[in-house]
Amino acid sequence: MPNEILSRGVTRRAVLGGMAGAAALSIAGRAFAAGGEAPALAQLVKDGKLPPLAERLPKKPMVVKPFEKVGTYGGSLRRGLRGSSDHNGILRMVGNQSLVRWNLEFTAVEPNLAERWEVSDDATQFTFHLIEGVRWSDGHPFTADDVVFAIEDCVKNTELYSATPAQLAVAGKPVTVEKIDDHTVKFTFAAANALYLENLATPLGQHPTLFPKHYCSQFLPKYNPNIEADAKKAGVTSWTELFRSRCGDIEIPTRWGNVDKPTLDPWVVKEPYVGGATRVVMTRNPYFWQVDTEGNQLPYIDEINFGISQDVESLMLNVISGKIDIQERHISVLANKPTLSQNMQKGDYRLLTLVPSASQQCQIYFNITHKDPAMRKMFADKSFRQALSIGINRPELIDIVYFGQSEPYQAGPRPTHPWYNEKYARQFTEFDADKAGAMLDQAGYKKGGDGFRLRPDGQKVFFSIDVIPTLYPDLVDALELVKTHWAQIGIDMKVNTIERALYYTRGDDNAHDAQVWPGPGGLDPMLDPRDFFAFHPQGSRYAIPWTLWYTSNGARGEEPPESQKKRMKLFDEARSTADLDKRGAVMKQIFDIAAEEFETVGLCLAVGGFGIIRNNLRNVPEKEPDSWSWPNPGPALPQQFTFTS
Amino acid sequence: MLVFIAKRLLWMIPSLFAVSFLAFVLIQLPPGDYVTTYIATLAASNEIVDQNTAAQLRERFGLDDPMLIQYFKWIWGILSRGDFGISFEWQQPVSDLIWERMALTLVLALSTLIATWAIALPIGVYSAVRKYSIGDYFFTAFTFFGLAVPSFLLALVLMYIAAVEFGQDVGGLFSPEYENASWSFAKMVDLFSHLWLPVIILAVSSTASLIRVMRANMLDELPKPYVTTARAKGLSEFRLLMKYPMMIALNPFISTIAWLLPNLISGSVVVAIVLNLPTAAPLLLQALMAQDMYLAGAFVLLICALTLIGSLISDILLALVDPRIRLE
Repeated sequence: MPNEILSRGVTRRAVLGGMAGAAALSIAGRAFAAGGEAPALAQLVKDGKLPPLAERLPKKPMVVKPFEKVGTYGGSLRRGLRGSSDHNGILRMVGNQSLVRWNLEFTAVEPNLAERWEVSDDATQFTFHLIEGVRWSDGHPFTADDVVFAIEDCVKNTELYSATPAQLAVAGKPVTVEKIDDHTVKFTFAAANALYLENLATPLGQHPTLFPKHYCSQFLPKYNPNIEADAKKAGVTSWTELFRSRCGDIEIPTRWGNVDKPTLDPWVVKEPYVGGATRVVMTRNPYFWQVDTEGNQLPYIDEINFGISQDVESLMLNVISGKIDIQERHISVLANKPTLSQNMQKGDYRLLTLVPSASQQCQIYFNITHKDPAMRKMFADKSFRQALSIGINRPELIDIVYFGQSEPYQAGPRPTHPWYNEKYARQFTEFDADKAGAMLDQAGYKKGGDGFRLRPDGQKVFFSIDVIPTLYPDLVDALELVKTHWAQIGIDMKVNTIERALYYTRGDDNAHDAQVWPGPGGLDPMLDPRDFFAFHPQGSRYAIPWTLWYTSNGARGEEPPESQKKRMKLFDEARSTADLDKRGAVMKQIFDIAAEEFETVGLCLAVGGFGIIRNNLRNVPEKEPDSWSWPNPGPALPQQFTFTS
Repeated sequence: MLVFIAKRLLWMIPSLFAVSFLAFVLIQLPPGDYVTTYIATLAASNEIVDQNTAAQLRERFGLDDPMLIQYFKWIWGILSRGDFGISFEWQQPVSDLIWERMALTLVLALSTLIATWAIALPIGVYSAVRKYSIGDYFFTAFTFFGLAVPSFLLALVLMYIAAVEFGQDVGGLFSPEYENASWSFAKMVDLFSHLWLPVIILAVSSTASLIRVMRANMLDELPKPYVTTARAKGLSEFRLLMKYPMMIALNPFISTIAWLLPNLISGSVVVAIVLNLPTAAPLLLQALMAQDMYLAGAFVLLICALTLIGSLISDILLALVDPRIRLE
């Protein structure tokens, strides 16, 4: 039974302690027995303005088992956004309707709009069986044609996407999508793409279900010869702009800026997210295709009201005065925890625990490919990095900066993950200033007259570490402590607080000595392995030129050393291995090599964030992963959240 | 007078060009461009932008063009068809975004101006006429306190009290039901019922300095012979004060009208952000931070245009009010 094997094949078996009682989903095996619907919709049906429920739902709608209990209809859920570029705040809550999705534990991919699927043995062909009878929010049927249209006509249109999104291209070739019948589509990749199902469950995997053919085709020249004239009439310069402003894309604000665009989401836009908006209101989708265990159509909640705050402090004020129903975005930093805990009674809320999917709270990336040969030589010296690592007093740092809520850690999957690598995670975390000094002496960095060390060429050892204070204030504090620890072993470092665009430009130009960033890959090592080898052209900050070499297949950047090339090859192998045990074995080799090379210096295990849930909001798991790949709270299924009063 | 006005209007054209060019250059000066900032913003929530998408965004917005070409494309659009360009961030024509915000900004600016003057003028005159009286000390102490407290702090404190103690909805300029409604009488009423809080906060800080200016000017004028003469002729004290010394003392008020608008927009940024006001300031700040050039450029251009118009108005008013000023 291919489905069985494959469903298990994508399991990552990461264990999130205490996250019990998942909202398990299944497809109803029986014919649909008419359940309830929202009173407002029932009234519309009565008035003849909306077809009856049975005609709006699929014959076998997807059944969601509510997290705590079957809910009641009604209410408006209040949540906060920030001024601009916060479109993903909406996406995380509402736009989670891909072909497949994550389970609550972030360990396995479950059916969503595709009720089942088959994957060929070589992981190049994926056949998805769509739920029959699903409708877009305007009542138009959702079929295989929509999926084919979204990929073949939109995403593969080179005027619209000059490069195919990375998920949909393997070996430099874009995927091919064919319609088998009205409810079956086949994706064919040029080479093995074993991770495709997992990628499909992440936000960047939403393309196949993003563009309704009956609506979006009017913005493509292929279907509308007058498109240029229409674009001019709409006041934009080209048809591609018109398409984007009407149909959006996964991660741009215009996705939530058009009230006319049909979607498959539980709520649809009523007051759009446009420039200058002070709030975004979304209202229930009368054609939403999921029901609860008693056959009642979801969502329970009538409306979502996203207030737009320019300022996090005023968002906090709204939270503690009880004007927000669920919020973790923007307020989840550790520094807010005391305030939020103190005001639990006043604001009538409870706390939501976030399990970080990241591995490292603060990863120090020395630039091993530094432009200055002397600096490059110093950073590339493994014993130099090791000495610096054991010269850091991590317990002190964790106590002062992270209120004791962490443990010394280097890199790699989190301790609960089955691929956890003890050596990679814990080596060189014991504080020992004497030993660090001896190692530096031996490596040729002798102390000068002022107590600071000199490089073999006689220059003082001095470098700066870039950090963005507005983004990660805790990292600035951590670095200031590290600076004092390193001064004790004779190393002079400057905490270089800079603006974030400058931070990126310096990285892109390979002009940095060192930078810090939280290290990802704790629960999702396959999805973001940037710390394990030179994988991410902006994230693997210890060797940006190597990542360019990797991503451009050797055309740009700088050729990396053997151990990197080996890991790149291994990762490509892991990516095309469908069998989880085999894939794990390959990944473990990568961790072993990475532990041996010791390219990044970590401080401590990523600390969990938190959020708040109003006490009258139920069916919300109080412990969730915190990740972009698991776009919390979306996979906890907000459509089954409900108010008690 | 008409010649003067015409000349001034003509001079505005080259000034606006110079200003628009400078603004454009300044907005471009920080490292990176809109796409870098966009990626950085998303990365801040650990969200990832597809690498191919980023490259393609840059190409689509013409960010790889030299700056001069970008500038000329923009300014030509404005001149030839009143098109301020498209906001990168919102994919909307800039003109859709700015007008309502500018209108609300003007409403706020004018209300604050009126409130400030309404408080500062009488108190200033009073303090001058009753120099070193208890009332003088009281108002002076009070206004210095207002000057010393940063307005954003005042805003936060007032918001905290209103929200936590009284459960009031604060922030914004409209109640939820009117936020996206079209303009009507009810919406105007709603606007004014929300406007007083930001107006007071903004007025408090500027009142103190104006009181001092008014007081000092009045003290200069009061001992002058014409005042004594007028008094000797039997003019009532109130009419006397209003008719002569006050008119002269008003001079600095009128000549600062031109600065008022840019001051209110830049000075109220923090307050507008804290109070969540839908005025130009927060949108301008966002646009600058996102390096959303056309949107930010349009705002800067409009603010400059308003400043120029404001200075013209204050010159005309000065000529009307102060008999000592001549246009030649």
